[in-house]
Amino acid sequence: MNITFDCVLPDPLADYSHHPQSLWNNTHSIEQGENILVNAASGKGKTTFTHILAGLRHDYSGKIRFNSTDISQFTIPEWLSVRQKKLSFVFQDLQLLPSLTCEENVLLNTNLKGGVTVDQLIEWSAHLGIDKKWKEKVGVMSMGQQQRLAILRALSQPFEFVILDEPFSHLDEKNSQLAFELIEKRCTELSAGYIFTTLDPTDKIPFNKEIKL
Amino acid sequence: MMIKKLLFKNQDRKQLLLAAIGALLGMTFLITSAHFLYRINEFGEGSDVLGSNILVVQRKVTSASSFNLSKNDFIQEEIDEIANLPFVDKVQAVKSNNFRVWLETNSDMVPPFKTDAFIQSINKEFVDVHAKEWEWNQKSKVLPIIMPRDFVVMLNTFMSSAGIPQITDEVATSIPFKLRISGPKGEEWLDARIIGFTNEISALLVPMEFLDYANKKYAENQAGKTTQLIIKGKEGQFGSLEDYMSKKGLEPKKAQLIVGRLKSIISTMIVIVFIVSIIAVISSSIVLLQYMQLLLSQNSYEVKTLLRIGYSPLFISRIFAQYFSVVFALSLLAAFALFFLVKWWINDILQVGGIYLDQNFSFIAVIILPVSFITFIGFGTITARKNVMKLFNK
Repeated sequence: MNITFDCVLPDPLADYSHHPQSLWNNTHSIEQGENILVNAASGKGKTTFTHILAGLRHDYSGKIRFNSTDISQFTIPEWLSVRQKKLSFVFQDLQLLPSLTCEENVLLNTNLKGGVTVDQLIEWSAHLGIDKKWKEKVGVMSMGQQQRLAILRALSQPFEFVILDEPFSHLDEKNSQLAFELIEKRCTELSAGYIFTTLDPTDKIPFNKEIKL
Repeated sequence: MMIKKLLFKNQDRKQLLLAAIGALLGMTFLITSAHFLYRINEFGEGSDVLGSNILVVQRKVTSASSFNLSKNDFIQEEIDEIANLPFVDKVQAVKSNNFRVWLETNSDMVPPFKTDAFIQSINKEFVDVHAKEWEWNQKSKVLPIIMPRDFVVMLNTFMSSAGIPQITDEVATSIPFKLRISGPKGEEWLDARIIGFTNEISALLVPMEFLDYANKKYAENQAGKTTQLIIKGKEGQFGSLEDYMSKKGLEPKKAQLIVGRLKSIISTMIVIVFIVSIIAVISSSIVLLQYMQLLLSQNSYEVKTLLRIGYSPLFISRIFAQYFSVVFALSLLAAFALFFLVKWWINDILQVGGIYLDQNFSFIAVIILPVSFITFIGFGTITARKNVMKLFNK
């Protein structure tokens, strides 16, 4: 799937000045399998960018196309197809279900979309260091553990791009490294790309293209 | 399972229980009132061959009339006046026999039974039997007769004293009878068969053609006085007819008035209960649906998250609609069980009062269940879908 941006400008950012190469109000495209780093300071619209791609915000001008289709024209079944097979998200607020266990949070995703075995999930959770919390409710886990679980959930489904909105904000360097290894491995497995937003210019995330906001 | 646990585990079940109890009570009242409304309206119909809204009236018997000091018959002008009243459909003089009549059983099935009888005749249009059955000519082999119901009671009293099982209406209609008529000009025996029963007239009813024939052939004097009229009132104007009769000193048979009034009062009361029940069912259904909305708004984060990870809004709204449909279905089943008990209790009370209604579940009581359920599912699905859709792409 290719994603193209044609003079996209979120309404709340219309009165702000943007970088000359900013994604906003310019033409950009993201090709299938590309790894993208979106590096911007707070308030520049990283979460807005993620939410627009997820179909959660519609308050923008310009056009975004998935392949050649304008996403503002998407029907509900088309959005469901995007969410189930094309794009996977780690939202900044994680969007986990605190009353369910780690296992249930992930199984809710895999039961709907398939693609990963329970053994594989347990192996990944061990890699991320949350295997001991597998049967515990998410509500009692630390933010760092929740962030790793959100990454695990996002990787557990089929996708063409995984979009991660500041996914390491509560992780130390070691855990960030482990999480990134898993993201990279899974993207390679699926011939998919990642779109990674960060506000830390020192983040050492490898990328094919950097997008400014 | 996981989704149901997520959406329904943490809820205030007290409110759900109260709404379900409301639906249960409302549905119980609704089914019960609809059932009894149907049964009360049905009461007395079909068992009497004289159609509904029919009264047989005579002048009030007073001491003066007993000594022939006041008139107790009707003249043609009076009959015409009644016929022209706006609330009267038809009126006719009831003709009587002016010769002697005896009726006796003519079967080995029942012991010999013989009685003096009094016959009257009314036109076909007042008789609620198949027109062909109510025909007679001089070539007819059998004379059709309509019996006063009191006659069956009398016959059963006789059977009982003779140690023979009592007979039903059906059995009575299969017993062959002989009718003997006699006058100064001779006598005649006729085979007779009961084709129906009436509470309204105390004489044996025969077709007009037979009475005309027999009066002509055997009567001592043919021009008898008209002392009774049969009146068919217009639907729903019973009160006007009753007022008119009261003003004119006419009286119908007491039982007719009592049954008419009773049916009218009970039906009115049940209609009120029925309307209140419908309001109760609608209110409790609204409470249930509002509770669904409350649950959806309490779980809006969970629903939004499910939608964001790719669950379909239709799938989620179906889970809510199904859950509340099960709650409503359980209330319906409990209401039907409660209705069964209430029906049994009310029938018992009515039987003590001498009112025997059909004990079976009425069609309306049974049909209300699926109709209410389907209506609730419809509204439940719409409510759930509308509220879940509000959270899609949010």
